[in-house]
Amino acid sequence: MPVVEYKCPNCGSGMNFDSASGMLSCPSCGRQDKIDDTSDPLLVQTFEEGEAVEYHCNSCGADIITDPETSATTCSFCGSAVVLADRLSGQLAPSKVIPFAISKQQAEQAFRKWCRGGLVTPKGFMTADRIKSITGMYVPFWLYELNNEIEVQGHGTKVRTYTRGDYRYTETQHFEVYRKIRLNYNKVPVDASEKMKDELMDRLEPFPYGQLKTFNSPYLAGYIAEKYSFDEKQLFPRVKTKIAPFINSYIQSTVRGYASMSYSRKDIDTRLTHADYALLPVWMVHYDYNNTGYTFAMNGQTGKVVGKPPISKGKVAAWFGGVAAVTLLTLKTVSWAMGGGFL
Amino acid sequence: MRRSSLTAMLLLLIGLLVLPASGLAADKQLIFDEAGLLSPEEVQELNALANQLGAERQTDFIIITSSNTENKDVAMITNDFYDENLPGENAAILTMDMRNRQVDLGGFYLAEEYLDNSRLDKIRNGITPALSAGNYADAFREFLKESHRYMGYEPGFNPDNILFQTWFQVAVSLALGGLVVSVMVFRSGGRVTINRQTYEDSGSSGVLAHRDTYLRTTTTKTKIPRNNGGGGGGGGGGMTRGGHSRSGSRGSF
Repeated sequence: MPVVEYKCPNCGSGMNFDSASGMLSCPSCGRQDKIDDTSDPLLVQTFEEGEAVEYHCNSCGADIITDPETSATTCSFCGSAVVLADRLSGQLAPSKVIPFAISKQQAEQAFRKWCRGGLVTPKGFMTADRIKSITGMYVPFWLYELNNEIEVQGHGTKVRTYTRGDYRYTETQHFEVYRKIRLNYNKVPVDASEKMKDELMDRLEPFPYGQLKTFNSPYLAGYIAEKYSFDEKQLFPRVKTKIAPFINSYIQSTVRGYASMSYSRKDIDTRLTHADYALLPVWMVHYDYNNTGYTFAMNGQTGKVVGKPPISKGKVAAWFGGVAAVTLLTLKTVSWAMGGGFL
Repeated sequence: MRRSSLTAMLLLLIGLLVLPASGLAADKQLIFDEAGLLSPEEVQELNALANQLGAERQTDFIIITSSNTENKDVAMITNDFYDENLPGENAAILTMDMRNRQVDLGGFYLAEEYLDNSRLDKIRNGITPALSAGNYADAFREFLKESHRYMGYEPGFNPDNILFQTWFQVAVSLALGGLVVSVMVFRSGGRVTINRQTYEDSGSSGVLAHRDTYLRTTTTKTKIPRNNGGGGGGGGGGMTRGGHSRSGSRGSF
């Protein structure tokens, strides 16, 4: 059976991961099990991907209806937390996980707080009373370890100006500049789920890597988890574009002191040394406002919220007018104090 | 009876005191066109303008044109005129030496403070083209108006500072408003809080080799532009022989 459930050894109820204690806990009798101590039930048996066509709940026997990417969910009939083992084994076995640190209630509170802080969002949105759903989801990420060998060659100038007599002299010194740099990056995250928008996931960073744990399936109990849609090789170009600005900024930092710099050669050789498949915690918030659905994502550890909220034209206009008016008044006052006319 | 006659007497006395004074103020001669550069109508018009603007700044705006038969230095003409006629007064004087085609602008007391050398330079540079072209009345009118305008700005500031321009103030306000709003809208969706150091393994990263080879030096020179209105000139304050400090700007036209 490729469906794994977590039954309480005391009372037989379904156990869930508790974000506050970080343990597998039983809602019925209160038993709490440390996850690090228990051996992953997934490892007892090995499964092949795509082995099962249908999944049945071990508790009630109902069909478990899921997306093809889902690897953990709850039974829609009896609510038991189930893990679809064949989607977390073999090639698809995650090596790391960051568990949730924020519970559903905390996530909702944090989201409401975030909505209240919106400066240009409509008033009706700020009350945050139209939350359609909050779903805790483990999103598949690749954490890349990258080694970069960089060689740059360029032309730099240093400029000095001075005046002598009636002339202003501009003295430009030209230099041939060469740098060889080794630049290594650890755990650069790239989301591997097709469903998740990249720009949303990128803004959720940083994830606290101190909380990174060896993967153990009970962490998923009670949450939804996805399996990766793209492997580490398919996403390699994306991680390269992601670190490109970091590399450029590092190169810039090594040629300080030049007034201008133009590169004739910039060789960046990026090698993928290692990529860890990790599941990172994200609260997905679906919200209805004016008959339009909005999707927000919240970092399940830090509580950082990202996503495009609706923008109130009136508030934008008010801020614009207010700032412009105050600036104009300030400038007028300064000019008036210096003796210029007020109008 | 006694009271009303006393009132009448008083009124008469006040009238006698006030009327000639105000009449004098209106008639105060401020244009001394000894070289005959202006028509009588122009003299009248400029005199009226000088009186009106001067009253607002408590300063005598004076214009002297001279054929300079004694061949005195133009600044000396200004200084001697001041010492003779209005020692200790607030005055801004424009002197034309038609013999040597020199013009001198001087500020005394309040006008020295408000019309410092650099401000007088600006005014002189502004009117020199008109002087060279022989449009004396236009140049003098400009001198009166600009001196009056500049005296409205506190000393030490550049009166032509772009900060004083309304269009500039409006442009800055709108730009700042737009910037603030764009940042707000842009950041409403959450912002990127990672930088290049977030994932960098600084322990194993670094510059392995570097070379900075000096190639050559190129030097360019540009002439520093001088504000030489009509050719030759410059500023300078100083003292009159009567011991009055002045600001100044002089040049040829």
